[in-house]
Amino acid sequence: MAGLKKLGELQKSEERLAYLLLLPTLFILVAIAIYPLATVFYNSLTDKKFASSQEVSFIGLRNYRELLSVTVKELPPVIDADTGEVQIDSETNQPVYERAINILPREPFRFRAMKQFNLFGKMYVIGATDREFVRAIGDTLAFTVVTVILETILGLGVALVVNANFKGRGVMRAVMLVPWAIPTAVSSRMWEWMFNSTRTGLVNVVFQNLGIGNGQIPFLVDTAWQIPAMITIDVWKTTPFMALLLLAGLQLIPKDLYEAADVDGAGMIRKFFTITLPLLRPTLAVALVFRTLDAIRVFDLFQIVLQNTRFSMASFAFYNLIDSQTMGYSSASSVVIFVLISVFAVFYIRLLGAEND
Amino acid sequence: MTKRITHIIGRIFFWFLVLLVAFYMLFPFYWAINSSFKTENQLQMTPATFLPRDQTTLEFAPTFQNYIAVFRNERFQHGLINSTIVAVSTTLLSLLIGSFAAFALGKLRFRGRTPSLYIILSMTMFPQVAVLTGLYAVIRVLGISAIPSMILSYLLFTLPFTAWVLTAFFQGLPDEIMQSAQVDGATPLQTFWLILLPLTAPALVTTGLLAFINAWNEYLFALTFTTIEVDARTVPVAIALFTGEISHQEPFGEIMAAAVVVTIPLLILVLIFQKRIMAGLTAGAVKG
Amino acid sequence: MKTNRILWTVASMMMAAAMVLTACGPAATEPPAATEAPMTEAPETEAPMEEITLRVFAGNVGQELELTKEAAGRYMVLHPEVNVEVVDTPDFVEDRLGVYLQLFEAQSPEGDVFQIDVIWPGDLAEHFVDLNEYGAADVAGDHFPAIIENNTVDGKLVGIPWFTDAGLLYYRTDLLEKYGYNAAPATWAELEEMARTIQEGERADGNEDFWGYVWQGNAYEGLTCDALEWVDSSGGGTIVSPEKLITVNNDAAIAAVEMAASWVGDISPDGVTGFGEEDARGVWQAGNAAFMRNWPYAYSLGQADDSVIKDKFDVSPLPAGDAGHGSATLGGWQLAVSRYSEHPAEAADLALFMASYDEQKARAIEGSFNPTVMSLYQDEDVLAATPFFGSLYDVFINAVARPSTATAPQYADTSRIFYNGVHSVLTGEVDAMTAFEEMELDLQDLLGYDVGQP
Repeated sequence: MAGLKKLGELQKSEERLAYLLLLPTLFILVAIAIYPLATVFYNSLTDKKFASSQEVSFIGLRNYRELLSVTVKELPPVIDADTGEVQIDSETNQPVYERAINILPREPFRFRAMKQFNLFGKMYVIGATDREFVRAIGDTLAFTVVTVILETILGLGVALVVNANFKGRGVMRAVMLVPWAIPTAVSSRMWEWMFNSTRTGLVNVVFQNLGIGNGQIPFLVDTAWQIPAMITIDVWKTTPFMALLLLAGLQLIPKDLYEAADVDGAGMIRKFFTITLPLLRPTLAVALVFRTLDAIRVFDLFQIVLQNTRFSMASFAFYNLIDSQTMGYSSASSVVIFVLISVFAVFYIRLLGAEND
Repeated sequence: MTKRITHIIGRIFFWFLVLLVAFYMLFPFYWAINSSFKTENQLQMTPATFLPRDQTTLEFAPTFQNYIAVFRNERFQHGLINSTIVAVSTTLLSLLIGSFAAFALGKLRFRGRTPSLYIILSMTMFPQVAVLTGLYAVIRVLGISAIPSMILSYLLFTLPFTAWVLTAFFQGLPDEIMQSAQVDGATPLQTFWLILLPLTAPALVTTGLLAFINAWNEYLFALTFTTIEVDARTVPVAIALFTGEISHQEPFGEIMAAAVVVTIPLLILVLIFQKRIMAGLTAGAVKG
Repeated sequence: MKTNRILWTVASMMMAAAMVLTACGPAATEPPAATEAPMTEAPETEAPMEEITLRVFAGNVGQELELTKEAAGRYMVLHPEVNVEVVDTPDFVEDRLGVYLQLFEAQSPEGDVFQIDVIWPGDLAEHFVDLNEYGAADVAGDHFPAIIENNTVDGKLVGIPWFTDAGLLYYRTDLLEKYGYNAAPATWAELEEMARTIQEGERADGNEDFWGYVWQGNAYEGLTCDALEWVDSSGGGTIVSPEKLITVNNDAAIAAVEMAASWVGDISPDGVTGFGEEDARGVWQAGNAAFMRNWPYAYSLGQADDSVIKDKFDVSPLPAGDAGHGSATLGGWQLAVSRYSEHPAEAADLALFMASYDEQKARAIEGSFNPTVMSLYQDEDVLAATPFFGSLYDVFINAVARPSTATAPQYADTSRIFYNGVHSVLTGEVDAMTAFEEMELDLQDLLGYDVGQP
């Protein structure tokens, strides 16, 4: 009886200690962030203009509808008025279809054509009310998935290498930090220069020597090259972050586990899958969460290198806030980012079990 | 025999990959160094040269004018000091406060653990540009000066990071350590200070380093908060304010020189911390 | 009111946090800033000897900043009771505008005089005082009328012109001579023909990096400037007319942009659709282009001692299209006084001083800044220092303003619709007819104006 009671008390005091220890973190974060976060949510439901005395009205979910509405419409073929038959383009020998701009709805928001495609002999068009944002979502997600996968694989590789015992690994560890240490504002400019569309750009010079292109490939303008270029830069920039974090996780794995495995005669690969990976799982989960979070809200890289030509979701929010001063609309796009990050975060945590004890 | 050959081939392949990755990581930095020794005209040469070369004779001809300009720039020197103050304070604070939280989240049993984790994370899930205006309003009402403002606002992204990472590290430590310490009569706090922290020292250093660089490189908040407090500007802001002689002209060589100048001290810092990491490791090995 | 209370609650929480921080963190390095003035207007005390501080937000460029500081110094000598602080802001437009907007959103009294772009008076008018009420009406007539008109929003003079800019055609005199041309091209067709001939000739001579014509084709404000020049010189109007009619969608405009699109990959690099001012100048100054469209700043850089094109080029007005005249987009910067300033009268006096004849003359001589005071283009000292100014007078007086006042406060969006539309034609994503039809619809949605012909 008395023992149980004591255990209950212990439990209670442990709980009290936990709250006490958590308090500073929660207090600071909430105190700094609650007002800014609350205003973002609130503004996203209004038509507030930034730095303007214009009256603010509550417009419900209108901003979200304007940001996210997508539709698919069929484009009917054009019927020749004289013959009553489908018009055929004399050059391409293909039927002529109605122009998308005449078919897409204009009320209450105007839909703009994003892409046309042919399915079972019929022509369709995808329209979006804000095609820039819809495209930004797609681009940002593609960017996120590819960079996070590449960075995780490369980062884990680098971490395993520098965790091994060899001469000069101290220097190696410092050196591998270089990309992460250069301010993004500067490294983005550096890469922009390397991707220059003339032969002042390194990549064009190298490609030309390899027989690709004529030394004039506009990597940062050509839509096919833009996102791969962004991925190249980001993988370079953030692999060290991943590597260092995973390295820290590796260092916490007790050496005696490996020694015991050695005694059992386990090979490298088996040791990796039975010891390293399971014990690295919590660190991996956290690394993935923060890497994904940063990738989804990637900002400076897109803002500096691609500017207005193609947006990440965060640079979309930035340009709408500063150039157009549509604060409500920009806030709504930020909330979309928030929601997407939450989905990813919950997914990882469930998958890798960072939350269970 | 064949086993040995596959082993050797595997080794060669492995080191080839390592070299490839190292090349990918380092070559752009080499290119920055290369560019920092070029004049504007040399930068415009086609095709781009792998060393700074004279335009007509193509002889090796580096220029030091970019570095001279960077070292003459008082703003930049101030920026180095300011950035150091801000980044060091932010890092120490978030390590200290974050490790408390992480201890609770990683090793103690209490109700509301999962919600706490999510709340901490959710504070950092908005893009910076979205919270900037609200933060600026709060800071203006408080009337605090630029440097504390930056430290406070940087905690917004460094604190959740350190808290989460350290939680994962603490969780990774076997529970028996806690239990045996308790059996010995240590309070949870003593266990934390005397056992958990020393054991995770290398991980702490690494986490701190990542947080430090995050704070060191921040630009948007710093630009806004130091608008009128010119003397509090940090390195990224100072670099953004580099200009040519004339409007529109971009001093690319100087920016690259500045990149080299800010990266080298960080590398030295890391090399120094390496020793700490090693020391921590050996200490951990003794106890573990 | 309510937001304020919430703000205060949060603020006091943060104050507590700050105190906790300073207690356990390293010692704060700087004492908190002197308590700032309350938001409510402080009673204006007219004590003459009380020192006041005025903050000027200006460009950060090396020499430009120095000149501004010198001007501030001269003002302080004349007005010992005023202390002028020059605050530099980034050259990158979105960053500079962002800094300004944060101050305006907070209605901050911390900035008094602001250097603003020629396209901002309309959009930012509500944050600035009417300078006419502070004596600008007397001097406005000395400046280029087009700029004064641009800066006047609903009868209110938002900014006093400080220095101006306009698009120019740079051409290589040595190459024109080599290929038998004796004058700069007068029409776009001539330019195209000359550029092609020179490009083919130079490439045949072994310079595979040579291009005929470089300009600004990235999707940004610079493209609005370039495209406006093509369109207006072809008689296609100025996107939105001063009478507030949307005139963008017309055959002349479509033809003009199609002409430019045909240059890409032909006489202009494939990458020109990613070019800003500095990218174009990079190609030009390496000696790899026969023609360039740019602002006057490129002149002195091209004439620098280590420049390979020194004394091998000249400037002329941009070529004409079907309209029979060339068009140069008006650029440049103004000085405006914040409505939230605590000393608007003194600030306005400072702004007018900095934009006065003598000050603009000093800037013209020492920094080649193009004055907005017309008579300075006949000033002998100015002409002696910068001989090419004389020929610029005609360009400036005929410069075409972007429709920033007619579309206020929606100019930034108007421009974005325009440059994105033009950019999509240049890159071949969309055909010109569809792009212009969409621009028209977008502008109707945005502005609610009627559609008209230029």
